[in-house]
Amino acid sequence: MKSGAGNTRALCGAALLLSVLTAPAALAVPSFARQTGMACEACHTVYPELTHFGRVFKANGYVLANLKQVRDVTAKKEQLLELAQTPPLSIMVQASYTQLSTALPDLSSGAPGVAQNGTAGFPQQLSLFYAGKIAPHFGAFAQLTYANDSGTISMDNVDLRFADTAILPGDRSLIYGLTLNNNPTVQDLWNSTPAFGFPYASSNAAVSPLAGTEIDGTLGQDVAGLTGYLFWNESLYAEVGLYRSAKQGATNSLTGAAGPLDGTISNVIQGVAPYWRVAYEHNWERHSIELGLYGADVKLLPGASPAPTALRGPFNRFKDVAEDIQYQYISDDHQITVAGTRIHENLSLDASFASMASANPTDSLTTTRLWTTYYYRRKIGGTLGYFSTTGSSDAGLYAPTAPGDPGVITSANGSPDTRGWIAEVNYLPWLNTKLSAQYISYNKFNGGSSNYDGVGRNASDNNAWYLLVWFAY
Amino acid sequence: MCMIDKHREYSVPPRRSRMLAVASLLVLGVGALGWARADAPDLATQAFAQRLAIGVCGTCHGPHGNSGQPKFPRLAGQNGNYLVAQLKNFRGQTRGDPDAIGYMWGMAAELDDPTIEALAKYYSSQQPLPGRTGDPALAARGREIYEHGIESEGVPACSSCHGADGHGVADFPRLASQRSQYILKQLASFQSNMRNVAVMHGVAQNLRLNEMQAVATYLEGQP
Repeated sequence: MKSGAGNTRALCGAALLLSVLTAPAALAVPSFARQTGMACEACHTVYPELTHFGRVFKANGYVLANLKQVRDVTAKKEQLLELAQTPPLSIMVQASYTQLSTALPDLSSGAPGVAQNGTAGFPQQLSLFYAGKIAPHFGAFAQLTYANDSGTISMDNVDLRFADTAILPGDRSLIYGLTLNNNPTVQDLWNSTPAFGFPYASSNAAVSPLAGTEIDGTLGQDVAGLTGYLFWNESLYAEVGLYRSAKQGATNSLTGAAGPLDGTISNVIQGVAPYWRVAYEHNWERHSIELGLYGADVKLLPGASPAPTALRGPFNRFKDVAEDIQYQYISDDHQITVAGTRIHENLSLDASFASMASANPTDSLTTTRLWTTYYYRRKIGGTLGYFSTTGSSDAGLYAPTAPGDPGVITSANGSPDTRGWIAEVNYLPWLNTKLSAQYISYNKFNGGSSNYDGVGRNASDNNAWYLLVWFAY
Repeated sequence: MCMIDKHREYSVPPRRSRMLAVASLLVLGVGALGWARADAPDLATQAFAQRLAIGVCGTCHGPHGNSGQPKFPRLAGQNGNYLVAQLKNFRGQTRGDPDAIGYMWGMAAELDDPTIEALAKYYSSQQPLPGRTGDPALAARGREIYEHGIESEGVPACSSCHGADGHGVADFPRLASQRSQYILKQLASFQSNMRNVAVMHGVAQNLRLNEMQAVATYLEGQP
């Protein structure tokens, strides 16, 4: 878990990471199909992975609509209103079962013991979507989620878009737009970037490693960003924008109101954080390939982590630069995808180092993910993925197990290094229903393969089976 | 630069556009041409349809109707009457091959007649690009079937309706340079009656898969 202060990572890392890594992958939602009158396969290989048509639909602001509209116009034919007669609402459910290779310690009493192994999530998650057109050139993908770990309903991924298309000389199209969203890369068009990257669903009852970069979901649902983008000839894409903290459930300690944010709040962006993205996609016959770069520069004021501190003075800076690639082969019978990303982050930890929350004034962190997916007739298929995070050892950020503590979410050597594999098999009896069996295997976890936490837990103890029923209507 | 709004009011253009349209028709003297029927699209609708074709339809069919993806048919140079009929079939949900259901029933659902006419006019006036030439032996077999049919199986010559050059005749569609995968799937759909066209069902009912592949390969390679 990335935080402005190192010991926040150590103390709260696992819990927060769980929420990050299991941040529900937004997905294909049937309201898009209802709105366009088109089958899922137009926009997806298998949800949530987008086809070229799906990427263009998203870039155009989710507004392509083939339903009868309730309209209002002025005498000059200016459009005042276009409302679909059916609102673009969808419901999504994920029910799951997680089995760890080795049960976790049970902290409920002082006596040694282990927690029950085998966790049913019913539901793990339930979401309500507004996904579709709001007005001409204005659409939304907005998700409200109940999750069983928090037991509450909260705002999930949101992507509000204005977009239009210009026809340039030579009959080249230029899609231009603005997106207001709450998770950097949730607005991205390719599935190689974090928000919609593999794994598309993860257990929230498994153990996750400590380290993650800012752009890799850490800021999700914690920020508001406005970015502008251009998509030329459905091939060359460029986007820039700014993000600012938009905390959910945070209140000003003086007034009890929703703001302004003060030193009782953790990890507040100083000013705004720039985000940028360039990508090029080439399509030929049944193939498409995309190559891209993206990044962000985030300055976080520690605030309440580790102890309430005024939102001024030194901050921690995270400069993320990432590459991504996605190849797709799509025919009626076979759908093949190879995709991946590598995120490199430079950390300047002025605030954490000053408070001794990090051991080093500067660190680095690199996350790599690469996966390949095959489906037969969008019915049965699977994904094999590799993941790796490496970086500077920092006993402040990735703290060792304190005497008497159970370990598990600690690092004996202060290293964030984690790597492993994910294998997943999926069966879709219908295009909006997915049955998955996923296995995650760790070769290294928080810096070690064996006894990584110093109290006897091995990386492979965190291997986990994850069975999932995932459908949307 | 032109903006696209698929659902704007295009059937009743502003007064100025209508005047321009009338004036243009008079000046150009196109009233006697086939497209100047009572339901022919006005200039504003034509311009709208062009933007629609490039900005929306073009994602699958290519901006000028020369689809780069084998799944989606080439529309450039296609017979206008045929395009009108197909778009109306999609809109009316009377064409039932799988991709028609999955893609075009939705896309055509809200198209009005003038826009359909204008889209057909746009695509029929585009220059078709050459298709890919496939296996020579297969194409030769396809040419034989296309030009002479298969008498023993009761398969008539395709050229008798679609023209010796495959460019289409009257309401029969152009097939030359068409995507072979698309032709193959259509022949299979005619055979199974998913695409319910009596004439083509009669033609295709006795065709074997390799014969369909041969015809499709031959046609994609034709200019």
